[in-house]
Amino acid sequence: MPEHKNVISVRSLKKAFDSNKVLNGIDFDLFEGEKVVVLGPSGSGKSTFLRCINRLEEPTSGEISFEDTVISDKNIQEMRAKIGMVFQHFNLINNLTVMENLTLAPVKLHRMSADEAEKKARELLRHIGLISKAGAYPASLSGGQKQRVAIVRALMMEPKVLLFDEPTSALDPESIGDVLELIHEVVDDGMTIMIVTHEMDFAKEIASRVVFIDGGKIIEEGTPAAFFSHPKTERVREFLKKVL
Amino acid sequence: MENFFDKIVELFTTPEYIDSLLHGFLLTIEIAFFAVLIGFLLGLIIALVETGKSKWFAPLRFICRVYVTIIRGTPMALQLFIMFFVIFAIRDFPQIVTAILAFAFNSAAYCSEIIRGGILSVDAGQTEAGLALGLSPLTVFHKIVFPQAIKNIIPSLGNEVITVIKETAIVSMVGMYDLNMAAKDIGSGQNMASYVVPMFVAALFYLAVVYLITFVIKRVEKHMRRSDARA
Repeated sequence: MPEHKNVISVRSLKKAFDSNKVLNGIDFDLFEGEKVVVLGPSGSGKSTFLRCINRLEEPTSGEISFEDTVISDKNIQEMRAKIGMVFQHFNLINNLTVMENLTLAPVKLHRMSADEAEKKARELLRHIGLISKAGAYPASLSGGQKQRVAIVRALMMEPKVLLFDEPTSALDPESIGDVLELIHEVVDDGMTIMIVTHEMDFAKEIASRVVFIDGGKIIEEGTPAAFFSHPKTERVREFLKKVL
Repeated sequence: MENFFDKIVELFTTPEYIDSLLHGFLLTIEIAFFAVLIGFLLGLIIALVETGKSKWFAPLRFICRVYVTIIRGTPMALQLFIMFFVIFAIRDFPQIVTAILAFAFNSAAYCSEIIRGGILSVDAGQTEAGLALGLSPLTVFHKIVFPQAIKNIIPSLGNEVITVIKETAIVSMVGMYDLNMAAKDIGSGQNMASYVVPMFVAALFYLAVVYLITFVIKRVEKHMRRSDARA
């Protein structure tokens, strides 16, 4: 792994909301091609950690770099275009059609022409079986459909890394499978990802590394095999006992 | 009753009366139209300042707060007097401009509150999705937040337009010849010597405009709701 390029590096990241300290010094490196699953009890700071990376939350202190460039308020827009994000609540743009959701950013940011973007969007929509929804507004889609559109919307920008923030937590059990399948495909295509999830089986399946966060700190990390079968800390043993 | 209808016929067939009425009506519409337009734009700016995240906005935000508080806390008629007899107490300064500004400044405060509420009603996830894609805050506002905010506030904005139209009637207090004043003038002793009919007709004029605007707003709202499941 270390011979791979460093995509994201996080140094002593701290984040507090007023007096509530959510992240208490996180050091972390993400290398090209890695599939990192972030686990932890609720309220442990997993989502905040992810959201600090693309600065949806402004870190209180610490440093985050993307491909050796320190992310700052100055370059954040450029960085976000390379860091895709998939949200728990999908966040498709309500006033835009599915097609417009996919093409807005790549066209606005001059990644491709309107024609190219539409062609690419059609390919992706066809691939996920939602081409018939191209002209529909998000309100008419089911949760699972929305999330799959949200994933291909992120792919439209051809990001270097994709962050998934509990992508299946707001879905009904039936559509979880479809979404996980799509994430699996994205992973198989070689995308570097970080995913916060509560789907343990899925985590075991796709992770190249598991990171366990509690109390705003990384408590333990390792390969899924080691993490799930031979946890090193009492805290993780306790957690796994509850969730498995 | 017969007398009433005779008077109505008289009002509509006497060129002098009907001219006065239309003249007044035109002034009412002119003041309301420009006041709403300027008021909305000013209100939008105030709302942007108030909802803006930047630290640099802090002093501006304070000024906006004070402005909105003063405007909303004092009578419109008093604001009109202040504009006429204090701020624009300049000889030969066009009265209509003073009146438009008075109503625009007033409406801006109300519009800003409406627009601010509309902006805040848009789910934060919408903004986050736009930002996460690398779009600029300006693009996010223009393409995502504003269209959704407007949709939510169309009914309130419609109300504000209607309020302004009717409130312009107080310009008669500073001697301007609007629809309200025209009705009073036509009904006075020197003219018809009956207030009932001209005031009844003036009321119909106001009502017709308000009804028309309500109708247009309903259509606009329906059009904008096409992206909703509720449509």
